[in-house]
Amino acid sequence: MPDRLEISGLTLRVRDRVLVQDASFQLRAGEVLALVGASGCGKTLTALSVLGMVDLQPGVVAADLVVQVGDEVHRPWQGVLGADQRRRDQAFAPVRGRLVGYLPQDARNSLDPLLRVGRQVRDAAALRTGNADEDPRPWLRRAGLPDPERVEQLFPHELSGGMAQRVAIAQALARGSRFLLADEPTTGLDPTVQRGILDEIRTLARDGIGVLFITHDLRILPGLADAVLVMENGCVVERTTPLELQSGELTSAPARRLVEATRRVAAGRLG
Amino acid sequence: MRALAIPRRAERLFRRNPAATLAALWLLVIVIMGLVALLSRYDPITDVHVGQAELGPGPGHWLGTDHLGRDVLKRLALACQFFVAPGMLACLVSAAIAIPAGAIAGFEGGWIEAGIRWVFTVVASVPRFVLLLLVLSIYGDRLYLLAIAAGVAYAPTLAEAVFGRIEGLRSAEYVLANRAYGVPSWRILWVHLVWAASRRLVARHLVTLFGYYLVLETTLSYIGGFGVQEPMPSWGNMLAFDWGYSAWYAPQVLAPVVVLWVTIVAIAWVAETLGGEVADA
Amino acid sequence: MSLRLVAHRLLVFAVTLMGAVGLVLLLLWLAPGDPIDLLPNGEELRPVLTQQWELDRPLPVRFVSYFGRALHGDLGTSLAYRPGTPVADVIAGPAMRSMVWLLTALVLTMVWGTWLAWASAGRPSWHRKLVQVASIAPVFLLAHVSVNGIDVLTLSLVDRGIIPRPGWFPLPSEPGVFRTALAIVLLAVGSGALAEVRAEAENALVKIRGSGYIAAARARGERLWPHVAHNLVGPLTTVASSRAAFFVGGLVILEKVLLLNGIGSILWQAAVMRDYPLALGITVVLASIVCLSRLLGDTVRLAFDPRLRAQVGR
Repeated sequence: MPDRLEISGLTLRVRDRVLVQDASFQLRAGEVLALVGASGCGKTLTALSVLGMVDLQPGVVAADLVVQVGDEVHRPWQGVLGADQRRRDQAFAPVRGRLVGYLPQDARNSLDPLLRVGRQVRDAAALRTGNADEDPRPWLRRAGLPDPERVEQLFPHELSGGMAQRVAIAQALARGSRFLLADEPTTGLDPTVQRGILDEIRTLARDGIGVLFITHDLRILPGLADAVLVMENGCVVERTTPLELQSGELTSAPARRLVEATRRVAAGRLG
Repeated sequence: MRALAIPRRAERLFRRNPAATLAALWLLVIVIMGLVALLSRYDPITDVHVGQAELGPGPGHWLGTDHLGRDVLKRLALACQFFVAPGMLACLVSAAIAIPAGAIAGFEGGWIEAGIRWVFTVVASVPRFVLLLLVLSIYGDRLYLLAIAAGVAYAPTLAEAVFGRIEGLRSAEYVLANRAYGVPSWRILWVHLVWAASRRLVARHLVTLFGYYLVLETTLSYIGGFGVQEPMPSWGNMLAFDWGYSAWYAPQVLAPVVVLWVTIVAIAWVAETLGGEVADA
Repeated sequence: MSLRLVAHRLLVFAVTLMGAVGLVLLLLWLAPGDPIDLLPNGEELRPVLTQQWELDRPLPVRFVSYFGRALHGDLGTSLAYRPGTPVADVIAGPAMRSMVWLLTALVLTMVWGTWLAWASAGRPSWHRKLVQVASIAPVFLLAHVSVNGIDVLTLSLVDRGIIPRPGWFPLPSEPGVFRTALAIVLLAVGSGALAEVRAEAENALVKIRGSGYIAAARARGERLWPHVAHNLVGPLTTVASSRAAFFVGGLVILEKVLLLNGIGSILWQAAVMRDYPLALGITVVLASIVCLSRLLGDTVRLAFDPRLRAQVGR
């Protein structure tokens, strides 16, 4: 069976409010699956639930998560629903980083400010191989940084937004995650830099990594995503493709609302 | 109708932070005692009633009497005069020096900032207590001199706080907007930045300074040589009296400890509530 | 770290220390009255002292010559405490002792405060209030309560026959290990020291734990504590070096109250006996300690945090 990450019935609560209700999706290796929706609809929480990193109370109350890579099959949420942080950390230890990685929105702040870039990529690689002396430069090059000798000496505060995002990608590659949860990694970057990062993501998928790409910007989907999940108010409402979104042959009202809003913004821009 | 609003507002304040409200009330009592005691003409010599030495608490003496027959509660109250008014003087001196200096340094920047901050750093390089001990030794142990010196010794801390706040706001949007409207600089600085944005921070520091002065006076009086000395009462010298082992739980012995500790905690809670962090301004 | 940065910090240290010494000298020299009058045999020694103290020279000259001599270790001669003995000789041994106690107390308060902050994460706030109430007491009050408390407790235990009368009872009135240890502990706790360190450590921990790089490390399956530890160095160093000045003052008080033979008790004697050269010399040493701790704190922070180096190096 091909490597897959499948979650079904994900329900997340904080006190009495339900933030995510019965969400399900399947992500395969080599595929880019976009998760779109308005801000606050639960996209990031869904991604964090795949890693068991939601620290709210009671948090994830229902979920069936299967992570399959090669012969390994993990069901980390089994017996750990609603458990405290320590037990969750134990249950998810074989999954975090090794099988599933996370690309954050603010890449620069996701790097330890006191360590050089090269050291941080090297540490990520060391987690995978057990060898503390890995060379970070090939990973930096693969992430699209043309001068890794210079970049590896830099500190995080010296990186531009785009460079920082590439370093985060290099870290994820060095770590060797089979699946990546990319949480709005291009938000706040200027369009040319954005294009570069999106191309990197596409390349990652070509190399066999399964990417869950979270975004609220529909315009970047064509050429990036193989499939699109539409989310509204904590529910996954529809699974479709970028083409169908564009063409307007839609079944769900939420998807139509998103497309309409995007069109209006674009129209306003072009005047 | 406004008179009715006060009890309601007081009740709301109390509900929100009961500890701080009680603390503030206690401090109010202390301050009133300290100011009233200044006006009293207490003659410690005639207060001695040897025949009534070391009485327990009773109708005439709520906390009993000390080894010379003097009423303990009365002396505790009288002791307040030696730190309340001087403490306030210290606050006045400190504010008068530190607020203008810190504000100007923060607003102007450049060499003015460097110069002013260096002066304050120099003063802060001598430990406060050591500096004050030197002043007492060289210039003599005069109450109001100590108060002024304490105010000067605390000024660096207050100035740094004001400086930090003003400097942080120097390029804030509302400052730029004010400038664009042609509001004169002095008005921006004093009205908007110092008064509106920094007054709680300053208030917190001044309350802390008041607490520091209390500690200073009682420490000196406890150790002896400087500070308030017998026969005049100070919480410090009342604490220092050696009662012997058997009577440790007697009110005469415990009262100075409790009163001092409670007052210091009260000052700390009030200062904490005043906040003055960036969010509270 | 660039040589330029280090040189700049050293320069600031030197200039500030000179300023502090100058301030204290000014304090003394501007006092009204004639210093020679205060001495018992002043009139006889007037010509000698006038020349020795350069009383007839202008102030700037006196500054320079004081600094010149101080740099060679000559801090003047004690007049009253140990008449005729050079100040440097009087204070050398006690100064060493006091610095050891100071350092020990500083390390103790940092470790204890950080441990309290780490252990109290998520615990109810009465923990915090308890530490604050205990720590905020002035050091003399803590010393008074501790010494009397220990004596009273021991006495009541002895009276009830629970323990035999210990050899050290009552608490001896000379310097000793017990008093020294008590002084160090009280210095670490009192006058708000422990509460402040705990609060700063807690703030730093909250910021670090909520940061993006900790979340990212967690998502990668990395060990968190190395990141937490070295990001704590900056904030903790700041607290430590800013607390140094207060610790010196607290030590002076505790040495007097608990009768220790360090530089603080000598300062008290000098102040009471108006032995100004001695008092001045001690103050110079204490101010140097404060400036040195500031310099060390800055240096450690610069060495650890590349962002600070970038800021300063412009």
